[in-house]
Amino acid sequence: MSLLEIQDMTMQFGGLVAVDNLSLSIEKGKILGLIGPNGAGKSTAFNCVAGVYTPTKGKILFDGEDVTSHKPWDLCKKGMGRTFQIVKPFAALTAMENVMVGAFATTDNRDKAAAKAADVMDMLGLGDKKDLKPGAMTIADRKCLEIAKALATNPKLLLLDEVMAGLRPTEVDEIIEIIRTLKAKGMTIFVIEHIMRAIMALSDEIVVIQFGKKICQGEPEAVACDEKVIKAYLGDDYAPA
Amino acid sequence: MTQNELKRNCLIGLALAAFALPLVVSSPTYLHILIMLFLFAYMTTSWNLVGGFAGVLPLGHSVFVGIGAYTSTVLWLQYGVSPWIGMIIGGLLSAAVGYLIGKPTLKMRGAYFALSTMAFVEGVRVMVENIDMLGPFKLNGPRGLNIPPLPAQEAGFWSFQFATKEPYYYIALTMLILVLALTYYISHSKFGYYLKSGGEEPEAAQALGVNVASCKVAANVLSAFLTSLAGTFLAQLTLFIYPKSVLTLDLSFELAFIALIGGRGSIAGPVIGALLLRPVSEFSRIYFSDTLPGLHLIILGVVLIVVMLYQPRGLTEPLLGLFDRITAGFIRKPQEDTV
Amino acid sequence: MDLVFFAQDCINGVLMGLIYGLVALGLTLIFGVLKVINFAHGSFIMVGMYVSYWAVTLTGLHPYLALGIIVPAMFLFGYWIQNLLIRPIFIAERDVREPITVIVVTTGMWYVLDNLALLVFGPDYRALSPNPLKGQMLNFGEIFISVPKLYGAAAAVATAGLLFWFLQKTRMGRAIRATSLDRDAASLMGINQWKIFNIAMGIGTAVAGVAGAVLTPFYNVYPTVGIPFDVKSFVIVVLGGLGSIWGALVGGVIIGLVESIGPIFMTSTWTEAIVYGLFLLVLFVKPSGLFGQKHDW
Repeated sequence: MSLLEIQDMTMQFGGLVAVDNLSLSIEKGKILGLIGPNGAGKSTAFNCVAGVYTPTKGKILFDGEDVTSHKPWDLCKKGMGRTFQIVKPFAALTAMENVMVGAFATTDNRDKAAAKAADVMDMLGLGDKKDLKPGAMTIADRKCLEIAKALATNPKLLLLDEVMAGLRPTEVDEIIEIIRTLKAKGMTIFVIEHIMRAIMALSDEIVVIQFGKKICQGEPEAVACDEKVIKAYLGDDYAPA
Repeated sequence: MTQNELKRNCLIGLALAAFALPLVVSSPTYLHILIMLFLFAYMTTSWNLVGGFAGVLPLGHSVFVGIGAYTSTVLWLQYGVSPWIGMIIGGLLSAAVGYLIGKPTLKMRGAYFALSTMAFVEGVRVMVENIDMLGPFKLNGPRGLNIPPLPAQEAGFWSFQFATKEPYYYIALTMLILVLALTYYISHSKFGYYLKSGGEEPEAAQALGVNVASCKVAANVLSAFLTSLAGTFLAQLTLFIYPKSVLTLDLSFELAFIALIGGRGSIAGPVIGALLLRPVSEFSRIYFSDTLPGLHLIILGVVLIVVMLYQPRGLTEPLLGLFDRITAGFIRKPQEDTV
Repeated sequence: MDLVFFAQDCINGVLMGLIYGLVALGLTLIFGVLKVINFAHGSFIMVGMYVSYWAVTLTGLHPYLALGIIVPAMFLFGYWIQNLLIRPIFIAERDVREPITVIVVTTGMWYVLDNLALLVFGPDYRALSPNPLKGQMLNFGEIFISVPKLYGAAAAVATAGLLFWFLQKTRMGRAIRATSLDRDAASLMGINQWKIFNIAMGIGTAVAGVAGAVLTPFYNVYPTVGIPFDVKSFVIVVLGGLGSIWGALVGGVIIGLVESIGPIFMTSTWTEAIVYGLFLLVLFVKPSGLFGQKHDW
C-alpha cells in the first residue's frame, strides 16, 4: 500500500505554473527520488506535500488520508518529517536542544524528549556534538543535524531536500550510509537530490520532472538511459538519434 | 563545587540578601528605588516572554500596565473591590486584549509588529484621554484617577495600601521571584522550546510540529496577564494614575530597552538590565532633572546603541562569562587539594 | 452644514495632507532602499526643523532660501548616521533580511536626539522669526488659504517629483533602484552597496530636512515635535504602501482629510484615535498598502 500519493497536483504562482499535473506515489519502506534540472519545480512540489503551500489543484493522500490543505505542523504530527534545502538550525539553541524541538512532537515531557534526541543523535553519529551551537558545526554536521531534527519527530515518511548538496564526496558517502540504515529500519523516504551518484545508489524508483511536468518514471537504470531525461539534462544534441 | 552549583548558591544568597535588605536600608527613598527596580525587572521579564523568547519586538506593553492600573483602581474607587481582586480581573482583561491584538499582529514581520503595537498603545492613550466615563466606569480623561490614601490604621493587605514602604518592597520582590521561576520553568518546557524555535526559524519550527502563530499568541496572552499585574501594583504604590503615566510609549520603550540591553531571551537578562539601568534613570532624575532634563534617556539611548553595535545579544552573556572566568580559579583550588 | 466651511476644511486637509506626505517621504524612500523602518524619522524631522529655525534666525534668510543650508547639512547628517551606526549592523547581520537590531538602534537614536534637543534647546516652543510668511492668507471669496501651507504643499509635490525623476532618470538613481531590488546582484554589477545605502539615507534625511523647513513657518519647534510626525509618518507610509513615493503623498492626503473633516463630526482628539484605528485596519487588511508592492510580511 502506498504511504504517500500525489494525484494531479498543480501549483500555480500568478501566471507561473511551477508544478503541472504531477502524480506519483511511494510504497511503504521504499525510497523515491525526485530529480530534474534547476527550476523544474522539485522544491515547490516538496513544499506542497509538506504543507507550506496549498496546491492550486489536485490531491495529496498520506497514509490513506486526504491531507491536501493541512498545515505543516499538523502534517508533522501525522508523521511527515522534512529537511530544508538551506539548513535552518535554531542558532541560539545547542544541537541537542535543536533536536529536542523535533522530539517534543512525540512527547510533552522534557526528559523523554531529551532521551529521544540523544538516541537520534547517537544513531546519526552526532553523539559528541550535543552541546555545540549550530554555528560551531561543520556544514556536513549541520546537514546531519537537519536530518536528526526531522527524525526526532518519529516520522513515517521522511522528505529530504538536497541534504547532500555542498558536501565532499566522503561526506556524501556517510549520508548515503545513514539513509540506507534508515531504510533498513523500514523508513519510507522521498528525496530530492542533485548528486546523481547518490540518488542512483539510493532510490528504488526515480521520478524526473521538467518545467513542473513528469517526463519519466522508473528504476534508476531505466531512467538514466531514457532519451527524454538525457535531453532535459544535456540538451537536444546529446539525445541518441 | 561546580560552576553551576556555585551559580545556584550565589542566586540563593542574592535572594536571601534581597529579603534581608530592608533590615539595613530604612530610607524610604532608597526603598522606593529598589521597589521600582524590582517592578521594572518584573515587567521586563514578563515582556521577555514575547519580546525575548518569541523573537518579536513589542513596543506597546504599557497598554497592559494601563489596563491593570485602571481596572483595579476603578473597581476600588467605585465598588470598594480589593485591588488584589482588581489585579486579577485586570490581568484577565489584559490577557483578552493580548489575545485580540496578538492574533492578527503576531503574524507580521518584525517592523510591522513593532509599529502596530506602538500604534495600539498610542490609540488607547488618546482614547482614554478623551473618555471621562466608559459606561458606568469613571476614567476621568487626562486628569487621571486619584486613590485617596487611607489613614494608617485602616491601611493594610485588603486595601493594598501600606503606611511604610517595606510591604511594597516584599510584594515586588516576591512578584519578581515568582515570575523568574515561571520563566525558568517555561524556558525548560516544551512551550519554551517551541517559542524559541518559532522565534528564530518559523518555517523550520513548523516543519517540526510547532504551530508557531498560536505559540506566539499564547505567549502574548501570558505576558499581557503578568505585565498587567504590575500596573495594579504601580497604581497602589503611587496612588495616582493618569494616561501619560501608565499608557505611554516611554514606558513601553523602557521595558524593551532594559530587556535588549540586558539580553533578550535570557532569564537573567531583564534583571541584569534593570540593575544596570534603573539606578541610572533614578539618580539622573533625582539629581539632574532640573539642570539636565532628559539626561537619563540620552544615557539609555546611547547605551542601547552601543550595546546593539558591540553586543547585540545583550550584556548578560559577557557578564556571565566574566563571572565564570573570575570564579574559575577559585573553583579549581579545592579540586586540586583533594587530588 | 455650511458648504463653504466644508470646502475650506477640504482644502486645508489636502494642503496639510500633502505636507504630511512630504514628512513621510524620507521614511518611505529609506525603507524602499534599505528595507529598514527608521524609527528615528520623527527625530530627523525635528532636527530638520531646528536646523531650519537656526538657519533662518542666524542668517535672516527667507525660510525657503535657507533650504540651501538645510539640505546639504541634513544630507551629511543622514549619510554619517548610516555610515557610523547602521552599516555595522548590516555587516554583522548579513543573513538577516530585516534585522530587529536596526529597529532598536533607530529607536535609540530617536531617544538620544529628542532628549539631546531638550537638553540643548530646552523645552520652549520656538516660533520662526523673522518669518516673512507668518499668518499670510490668500482670499478667494469666503475661502481662506494659508500661504505657508500652500507653499509647503507645492514643495511636497515638487520634492516628490524631483525624487521620482532622480530615481528614474539619473545614473545614481538607477544604481539606488538596482540596490533596492537586489542588493547582492547590484553588488556583482559593481555597485558599492554601502555607498548607495549611505546616499539613500542621506537623501531620505535631506527630504526630512525639506519637510522641516516647510513646517517651521507655521509650526512651532520643540524637542518632541517629531513624535506626532513620527507616528503619523508610519501611518501614512503603511497606508500608501511602504517604499512608494506617490503612495506617501496619497496616504498623507487621506490622513490630512480625516484630520480636517473629522472634527465636523467629533472632537478633534477623537480623530487622532481614528487615524490609529485606520492604521491598524490597513495593517490587518492590506499590509502592502494602497500602492505598495506585495511583501511577505
